[in-house]
Amino acid sequence: MAKKTVGKKNGKTAGKKKPATGSAQPPAPNATATAGAAEGRLIPPPGGATVRMYRIGHGDCFLIAFAGDVPNRPAYVLIDCGYKPGSPGKINPPAGVTSAKEITADIKKATGGRVDVAVITHEHQDHVNGITATNFDGIAIGEAWFAWTEDPIDGLANDLRKKFKDKLLGLIAARNRLAAAGGEDHRVQTIDEFLAFELGGEDEQFNAAAAVAMLGANGDAGASMNKASMKIFKDKATKGVEFLRPHEKIYTVPGAKQVRVFPLGPPRDPDLLESLDPTGSEEFGPGMAVSSCGSHFAAAARAAGSGDSPEAPFAQRYALPWNDAFTSPDDGTFFKERYGQHPSAIGPDTAESPSDAEWRRIDKDWLYAADQLALDMNDQTNNASLVLAFELGKGGKILLFAADAQRGNWLSWAKKAFTDGNTQITARNLLSRTVLYKVGHHGSHNATINGLSTDGYTNLAWMGSEGTSAREFCAMITAVRKWAETQKGWDHPLKAIKEALLKKAAGRVFQTDTDFDQMKMADGGSQVDWDAFAKRTTPNRLYFDYRIEP
Amino acid sequence: MGNDLVREPVSRQLRIFAFDPSLSTQFDMAGIGEITIAVPWEKDLSSGPVGEYIEVIDADPASGLFYKPVDLNDKWVLAQDGVAPSETNPLFHQQMVYAVAMTTIGHFERALGRVALWSSHRGVGNEDDQFVRRLRIYPHALRDRNAFYSPDKKALLFGYFPVGIKDARNTPGTLVFTCLSHDIIAHETTHALLDGVHPRFNEPVNPDVLAFHEAFADIVALFQHFSYPGVLRNQIASTRGNLASENLLGQLAQQFGQASGRGNALRDALGSVNPDTNKWEAKMPDVRAIDRTFEPHDRGAILVAAVFGAFLKVYRGRTIDLYRIATEGTGVLREGDIPTDLASRLAEEAARCAQNVLQMCIRAIDYCPPVGITFGDYLRAIITADHDLNPDDTGGYRLAFVESFRQWGLHPAGMRSMSRESLLWPDRRAAEEAAGIGPTHDELQSLFIENQPIFPDQKVSSKIDRTQKSNLQTWTLESDRYKTWLGVEADAAALWSWLMRGKGRKLTRVFGLVVDEDNPPPTVFRSSSSDNMISVEVHSVRRALRRSPRGETVADLVVEITQRRRGYFDPRTQEEMDAPGRQFVPDDKGDFRYRAGCTLLMDPTTMEVRRVIRTAGTIADNAQLERVRRYITEGVPGPSNAFSPARNAMHEREPFALLHRDQES
Repeated sequence: MAKKTVGKKNGKTAGKKKPATGSAQPPAPNATATAGAAEGRLIPPPGGATVRMYRIGHGDCFLIAFAGDVPNRPAYVLIDCGYKPGSPGKINPPAGVTSAKEITADIKKATGGRVDVAVITHEHQDHVNGITATNFDGIAIGEAWFAWTEDPIDGLANDLRKKFKDKLLGLIAARNRLAAAGGEDHRVQTIDEFLAFELGGEDEQFNAAAAVAMLGANGDAGASMNKASMKIFKDKATKGVEFLRPHEKIYTVPGAKQVRVFPLGPPRDPDLLESLDPTGSEEFGPGMAVSSCGSHFAAAARAAGSGDSPEAPFAQRYALPWNDAFTSPDDGTFFKERYGQHPSAIGPDTAESPSDAEWRRIDKDWLYAADQLALDMNDQTNNASLVLAFELGKGGKILLFAADAQRGNWLSWAKKAFTDGNTQITARNLLSRTVLYKVGHHGSHNATINGLSTDGYTNLAWMGSEGTSAREFCAMITAVRKWAETQKGWDHPLKAIKEALLKKAAGRVFQTDTDFDQMKMADGGSQVDWDAFAKRTTPNRLYFDYRIEP
Repeated sequence: MGNDLVREPVSRQLRIFAFDPSLSTQFDMAGIGEITIAVPWEKDLSSGPVGEYIEVIDADPASGLFYKPVDLNDKWVLAQDGVAPSETNPLFHQQMVYAVAMTTIGHFERALGRVALWSSHRGVGNEDDQFVRRLRIYPHALRDRNAFYSPDKKALLFGYFPVGIKDARNTPGTLVFTCLSHDIIAHETTHALLDGVHPRFNEPVNPDVLAFHEAFADIVALFQHFSYPGVLRNQIASTRGNLASENLLGQLAQQFGQASGRGNALRDALGSVNPDTNKWEAKMPDVRAIDRTFEPHDRGAILVAAVFGAFLKVYRGRTIDLYRIATEGTGVLREGDIPTDLASRLAEEAARCAQNVLQMCIRAIDYCPPVGITFGDYLRAIITADHDLNPDDTGGYRLAFVESFRQWGLHPAGMRSMSRESLLWPDRRAAEEAAGIGPTHDELQSLFIENQPIFPDQKVSSKIDRTQKSNLQTWTLESDRYKTWLGVEADAAALWSWLMRGKGRKLTRVFGLVVDEDNPPPTVFRSSSSDNMISVEVHSVRRALRRSPRGETVADLVVEITQRRRGYFDPRTQEEMDAPGRQFVPDDKGDFRYRAGCTLLMDPTTMEVRRVIRTAGTIADNAQLERVRRYITEGVPGPSNAFSPARNAMHEREPFALLHRDQES
């Protein structure tokens, strides 16, 4: 623990190069932008793009420079800016721990203080906690893009958010009850880890109690750190906020008209959003959606906490309130002898276990569903990820940013096609042209779907399958393995997925914690392709720059 | 109660829902939605119900309520075959879980020829295991779409949840109670019963172990359901003219599974409705399915399908004559409804076959290796157990099992033949030959005829009198379950004494055990109390008395012996730790535990070891250890979630809770 704290301190002070004061001052208007050679500016190849993958820690931060409409005036797209606290210190080797402060300072330098489009893919700590007022001081934003799930005037989105908020409050209530009950530290800690995702912040030791208190009595989720981060982008966006719906229309990047953007997710189907594994729910008995379960549980957790009684399943005449049961004239003896009321000391080692033994009671067990609820909610937010495919010119190469999309999101990509004039553009077509894949959810288990190119569902084999795209295809995994292992061994990235990617990309797989010189060509790869790949790459301790020619 | 003129009843009639009430509208099932079943009469049954085996305590902590316990001896309740089926009356819920669980227990006791025992409780700070007389059932424990057996609490926890979607069959907001599904109750009770026999069967060391637990529970639930008289009659009558009524049975089986939340897995294994024809179609056996299916439920469904296939084969064989008679040899039924007589006879045959298959499947659990079961082992267990009781295979059941398992690609590793004889587990002679050890009959006899002293350094339960002159000869079948439980410990102590310190030591190799003379690797656990000897644990000596179809009584002692070894995730560490001369403190547990051992079936009347069932490798077998390591480190098919390890942590606590949740979500 002590070590981690040191890492954090390093992280916070590491950005000493250039204190992010107001030196670069607000929006550098277009007038000054012609100075293409301005020092430190990120310049893409003509007609192409350069992707800067920041080594921010276990989390996402990408800056893409697209060749702009005006020569020497690239369009800048920023996707997410967040990390799991504690993870930057575990990047190997730590040639100076990176920090969000240093990275945002670099963003300012690289863009000249103006980002054309700032994208937040979803509301999770490891995607947004780098977005603070201080860090983004001096960075102007044109448009801010969010998934439709954030749209305040979308009925479905509002509905989902309301449900999500209710569940969040239920989860918090359950967490507090477990904490109060004692003896459940491990479980409370697990729930806190998930709450940290949902509520955000940069503290390494997530203080659930404080975060919960911040939400206030009515649980205004608007007060979470994540929400605050998102608000910063919304407030800064001078050209407005866009909520993207999948398959509805093809966007273009402002300032780089030839770059078209295809939003593939999140799905408009609440079932796909809420279930991470739709194959499992397809045919479970009629109408037994998980969501209703979570809410049902959450309602009980909150009611029980507040002293209200939740709706009872049976008529009152059958029921005895918990504490009265033991003194009931008719049944008091039954409950005292058969269930037991008081904590029992470790009794004598009787041959037969007594029937009122404490170890057999279930006072807390129903709350254990909180673990599951936390996992479900986490999956749900991940599945609500905004997934964007950037196209370099009509019919050109595709850069696919899958955020933390999991299975439900993936499977929805191919459910509809985009209408482009008289033609239809399918997900299969977009994936086949993909030369860069930002790997879903840190390379975790269900966030990259494996399969064959002949399979009918969206999968990895569909990617980079057209023309020469296979020879160029590369993947970017935002994971710090060593840190993930400290989290009760999260398997990020999953070995099987990493191997599949390495094989598919012949070794061209970036990973946040892996220096470029440790990457190597996969067996049987082409040296020519590898050399070309190396030429396109500029690595350093803060980021990987990767250039894509049109 | 009672008097001289009227005898005590043998059974108690109780009404239950035959089908999950939430599914009852799905079938056209007027009149058979509920059935009355006969549950063994328990003299001392009290409110709860609380009997000898089960205690139903209706606590609903999420609602902050207890529900009053039902008194099944109330004269009004007695007079109307129990409380009337109702979703809104918790007293009925209590009655239903009791009735179904008792029925399942009854099947186990009959098949295994002994009283059922729950797994023992090991309390924090307690040295010895405690006897747990009753399985506890909480019908409304959780507000969750889940129901599970908790090995820690020796309890079944059932949940309830509101319907979420509005459609033709559902009203949103209405509650679904998992404790009102016959199959869920039978399934969870089976988990508890299996845990009582094989506490190690929830340690996944190969892809089959967890799948087996699930599949076995499904098998019991399904065939128990089929074996009620009357359940099938209406169904068979209503699908007149459908000669392939196997289809109907398969469809029913799948629908039962669906009601209990296991529809997906069974759908893939048994069959499903073809969207083109809108007709239900059976799934053809697929030899390769087992090679690509690893999720426990899906994999388990393959075993269910294989057993179900065997059932259908037998059923077909036994009803072909009825069809010939009914169709006058043409094979074509006349127009119109089939005669009710025919429907009754077919239903009766189906119920009888189901009953027999159920008994075979349960009996086989005594014939399984003590750890690391595979489906292939289970096939051998079924065949051997049935053979030992019924050498002739008159009904063709064993043949049907072998054929069906083969069609599903389930076979024991390394078998040269899949004939019924070669599948039998080796007897003592064969085991002796394999071990190259001469006749051991005299040594074996000594176990039964000589006293086996309990040594001062021998670790035994404090409840056992150390001075007792212990041997295995006194043959009684205790009806007091506590004495039975105590007897298991005493017998185990005697057997250990004979095996490790007495004449039995000559047989260790025959049984596939590794002792000091074999100079095993140092990672193998040694005894902390007795002189640092290689540790050999005799887990249970269960006495069984079964009645064969020919009316003979067959007595068995089922003995389970295991050994432990420290396993390490990194093979290099393993090699280091296995370097000769390395010492371990007993607390050093390694990264994981590798176990091996054997199950023995002894016949106390002939003083013979009838079967020697060894695990795939001995405790010194590095190749087998490597297989377990690979499964643990890479092979565990994670649930489809990014945070599997977080789940695994939960999993350790309630191994069955998550299995069920995962399936359903």
